[in-house]
Amino acid sequence: MKIATDIGGTFTDIVTIDNAGRVIIDKTHTTPPNFEQGVLDAVKNVQERPDGIDMNEGVESFIHGTTVVINALTEKKGAKTALLTTKGFRDIYEIARGNRPDLFNFRFEKSVPVIPRYLRREVEERINYKGEEVTPLHKEDIQKWVEYFKGESVESIAVVYINSYKNDAHERATVEYIKELWPEVCVTGSYAVTNEWREYERTSTVALNAFVQPVAEAYVNKLEAELEKQGIHSKKYIMQSNGGSTTFANAKETPINMVESGPVAGIYGAAVLGKQLGIDQIIAFDIGGTTAKCSLIDGGEVKVTTDYKIDKNPKTAGHPIKVPVVDIVEIGNGGGSIARIDERGALKVGPISAGAYPGPIAYGLGGEHPTTTDANLVTGRLSPENFDMDVDMDKVREGVMKDVAEPLGITAEEGALGIIRIADSNMLNALKLVSVRKGYDPREFTLVAFGGGGPMHAAALAKDLGISKVIIPLAGSVFSAWGMLMSDLRQDDVKTNIVRLGDDTDFESINAMWKALEEKALADFAEKGISAANVVFSRNLDMRYAEQEHTVKIEQGTMELSADTYGSIVERFHEAHERAYSFRLEDSPAEIVNLHLISFGRVEKPPVAELPIIKGTLEDSLKEVRNVIFEQAGSLSTKVYLRDKLPVEVEVQGPAIIEEVSSSALIHPGMRAVKDKYGNLIIDTGVSENDR
Amino acid sequence: MTVKKIDQITLDIIKDSLQAAGEEMFISIARSAKSPVIYETLDFASGITDAKGNLLTQGNGITGFIGMLSSMVKEILKKYSTPESIRQGDIFISNDPYVGGGSHLSDVTVAMPIFADGAIVAFSVAKAHWTEVGGKSTGSWSVDADEIYQEGILFPCLKLAHEGEMDQNIIDIIRFNVRFPNESLADMWCQIAGLKTAEKRIMEICKKFGRETFLEAIHKVISNSAENAREKLLQLPQGEYEADTWIDDDGLETGPIHVQVKITIRDGKFIVDFTGTDPQVPGPINLPYSVLESLCRVGMLVATDLGDEINDGVFETMEIIAEEGSIVNARRPATVGTCWKTMLPALNAICKALIPVMPDKFVACNYGTVGSFILAGTHPETGSAYIDVAPTLGGHGAGLGMDGQAAQFSYGNGETYNIPVEVLESRYGFFVENYELNTGVDAGAGQWRGGAGLKRRYRMMTDNMSFTGSYGHFKFKPWGYDGGQDGSNCWFQVIRADGTEEPPQGKGARILMNKGDVLAVVTSVGGGYGDPLKRPAEQVAMDVKNEYITAQIAKDVYGVLVDENGNLQGVTDARK
Repeated sequence: MKIATDIGGTFTDIVTIDNAGRVIIDKTHTTPPNFEQGVLDAVKNVQERPDGIDMNEGVESFIHGTTVVINALTEKKGAKTALLTTKGFRDIYEIARGNRPDLFNFRFEKSVPVIPRYLRREVEERINYKGEEVTPLHKEDIQKWVEYFKGESVESIAVVYINSYKNDAHERATVEYIKELWPEVCVTGSYAVTNEWREYERTSTVALNAFVQPVAEAYVNKLEAELEKQGIHSKKYIMQSNGGSTTFANAKETPINMVESGPVAGIYGAAVLGKQLGIDQIIAFDIGGTTAKCSLIDGGEVKVTTDYKIDKNPKTAGHPIKVPVVDIVEIGNGGGSIARIDERGALKVGPISAGAYPGPIAYGLGGEHPTTTDANLVTGRLSPENFDMDVDMDKVREGVMKDVAEPLGITAEEGALGIIRIADSNMLNALKLVSVRKGYDPREFTLVAFGGGGPMHAAALAKDLGISKVIIPLAGSVFSAWGMLMSDLRQDDVKTNIVRLGDDTDFESINAMWKALEEKALADFAEKGISAANVVFSRNLDMRYAEQEHTVKIEQGTMELSADTYGSIVERFHEAHERAYSFRLEDSPAEIVNLHLISFGRVEKPPVAELPIIKGTLEDSLKEVRNVIFEQAGSLSTKVYLRDKLPVEVEVQGPAIIEEVSSSALIHPGMRAVKDKYGNLIIDTGVSENDR
Repeated sequence: MTVKKIDQITLDIIKDSLQAAGEEMFISIARSAKSPVIYETLDFASGITDAKGNLLTQGNGITGFIGMLSSMVKEILKKYSTPESIRQGDIFISNDPYVGGGSHLSDVTVAMPIFADGAIVAFSVAKAHWTEVGGKSTGSWSVDADEIYQEGILFPCLKLAHEGEMDQNIIDIIRFNVRFPNESLADMWCQIAGLKTAEKRIMEICKKFGRETFLEAIHKVISNSAENAREKLLQLPQGEYEADTWIDDDGLETGPIHVQVKITIRDGKFIVDFTGTDPQVPGPINLPYSVLESLCRVGMLVATDLGDEINDGVFETMEIIAEEGSIVNARRPATVGTCWKTMLPALNAICKALIPVMPDKFVACNYGTVGSFILAGTHPETGSAYIDVAPTLGGHGAGLGMDGQAAQFSYGNGETYNIPVEVLESRYGFFVENYELNTGVDAGAGQWRGGAGLKRRYRMMTDNMSFTGSYGHFKFKPWGYDGGQDGSNCWFQVIRADGTEEPPQGKGARILMNKGDVLAVVTSVGGGYGDPLKRPAEQVAMDVKNEYITAQIAKDVYGVLVDENGNLQGVTDARK
């Protein structure tokens, strides 16, 4: 049996799969600040329910997603952290890049480093851009500053030297020496976290890793001890931001890799589901309470970038974190997003969210402003019965009326529809960001929609994008946990190494570098208990035209680089560049900037079992018929079905709603839906070949 | 033809789609550019106008190009005025400083008409700083040009493509008249790619909502914005506000130069009057009118907080008065290569006029320069020729309740990124000795401190390097406000391999540097705000601990006694 748990803002989700492939899903409340309690509660729940898991079967692995790192970062509640860096470069972290995204704000303020200047200290040493030592490492400086840091009660130290991406010998020696001088302190060298060039980004990444490390370590230790107490002695993994998992031990070393632990698992889950169903071109779409996230999966694999930033928005520069993170576009548009008329008289939805408390007006917890969820209620797309609490529909309608409809001089129903249209328009832009704007034609993709709001909005958005097929997965409401359950171990090693490709390129040195990266990965996996036979590599290159800055990623495949083969790599690069940027520069030499080795440590997963056959007809699953308002057609009498009772492979005609406990799928007029043998809902949006 | 009255929500959706199209166009250019000045400095702007050239949306990397795009379209419509002379697939190119929203010759604008149902509905426009447009100096602009002909070739609003067919003559002229034709032409291609992106999106919007709905929506976008801007202006403190400032010199022999400004905010108007400003000068620091217009618009957007709604509706409320032939409104053929040398002081003068009544919007004076830097030479490893053109970071002024920002780019920049040390060393092969804050300087003190400038030293690794630098505030210091201390000067200095230190200077053209020579650049600390004696003593102690200021400055200027470890020891009589 395998268990996966995912801590979210409101709920802690759990999904288990036993040796027969039977999947159980459950949820419990998240329990801040002792998050591990929620995890333990969830494990207890799945044991105690009538169809629950049998712990005697033995737990083979336990996989966990956590917000502990992102919480520490956004609340700036980390350890007292210090930095050692190259002499002359103490202020790189504070200078940052000098940009002012909020152009017309002359009172702009930079993002404040988590390490103040007096704890940023310099060491005499220097490596040049070729990786040669220019000034040897002055260890006496290290000793001096370690003493100083002790006096300042520092808990964690980051080490970053100029050009360490090219030669990390000084950094390694420094980290070792600090450990020798002060074994109790946490210490991170940049080489352990990122090996890409750009010193500010590397410094920010390492500083943030050092900042959260003591917090993350304490959390993981506590969780591990509690799980052991519960009799879970299995291998324990934590989900990373790259769409794969790692061991608890490794997570404690480089916790910054957990920054998007939960959200990426849902995207990964979409890729796994696609494999199961034989679909490899997917747009994964997750609507939660506060945000909507989407990500494009090309050829069955999630895309990973190292351009991640926290606290980045149109007003602030944010803090870069150059670790591999699944490429997600996230916007402030979820079920709880508040609708309002702004000072210029325009209807806006989000990014302010009513959150879990007070939540939408419907929750009756004191929320006064209408949200997308409230709008879905007024239009009949959601029913008051979908909620745990008694919904005061008069109050909901009143809220929509007061904040939206009255100022615009329209009815509550029109106002509610307006809220949905604006929310959909925002989400449509996000979906275009990951597809059209990156040179992908959405019509060639399948939309996999999950999260509480995904099934409600997905079909209409898909139709707008020309997508004909939408999948609402079985475990859609706990899809991140489901994705974790299906995850492999994964490690990404990105190494900057600038090489111009031509006949006289030293290909042997590139091939040797690949070998070295692979050997390192194998050694790392051995430490995690994964044998070489279960490790699969994928070699990727970040490439650019000479003199250009931004790169595109291409897969090198299994082919070795040589004077004979590099031409096909260059051609692949031209194609990728053209897709991303609409042109190619045949005359410009192509350069490799980074080698990016993705290594998967494959773990055994029981195949998902088919659902037991549900007898009965469509009518048996009919819950009610109610009026629902649609954008074009107006109010239509709409059949509402219960997903649990819906027979397999029987077609539902739109307009219809298919309800489950935590979400409802809206099938628009002219669309059709079926439940497949695994329990997924498959919607045909009716976009025909002719429309394409 | 009657048009169905457009509902508010559809209008909002079209407006959002327009903005998204503008953003997409902007990103597409930034990510595909070949020159660092575009992809790192984001020294470009792109936008969409209506069929008459009224700006609908603009994506900006920097503030400097606000308002220049619509002038380009208006110039096209003026020059190609017969109905048949503008066709689908045509592309226009211009960099004339004196018409069509030109700035200096390095900034090249391309534009194309967008058609729906056979008629022009919009134009897409992209303006970008090309690394090279020819002229007497590598990098084209120089600090000592005294004729515009020394600053590069001029494209007077030409048709670059005829119905999709590129004009090879123009391309050949570019290829044989600029120093790095591959870079300049590649940047041109990426600008064109941006134009086409916008075209595609606008055509989609027209198809989805109908052309008439689109036209009505964009009309509404502009009129709503104008109304909104008027309301905003009525909420600001009404009155006349004056200030003046001095510019070091023109780089040749004229200077100091006086800039005088009066701003009137009344009846929903924002009037900027530069009467009393000195005449244009021989050196290349004159402003073409569209640069003046742009800087005034920036001042207004900051004052009104309308920065996320840039279209011509907003600017209907503005008036500019500037005598033709003055340095802020120069007459052809004045040199304009380093026009930011006047643009930023003029903008700081607007800030100086408005800070007393809008301390919530403006701060004390900053380093007042783009800090333009050109280093040309050959890479020690590859032997290939290169040119590094980039702005320099500097200290910004303090404001009410906030310390000044350290090492930021100028008001003329924006989403501009510095080039990382590791990228500089690898790409250009010189050695960076340090890259740090200019701290411990007796300048910029205040209840809120001015931000630190930047200090950096580059050591040459090859012979025959050529350096051109253009820094402001070499003679005059950035002003502090309300009892805050003035900031410090900007300067650079060459230290020869044998140890000879050449005198510090603010501007220099084509300075020859050889292997082992060091170039040191230091930029201003920004002006302070409020009496330094009012800064809380614990904060002053922390400033000493962080080594932003020395213990001596803490004592002499702030009246606070701090020991060498940053511990507060007491205060001086000045504070008591």
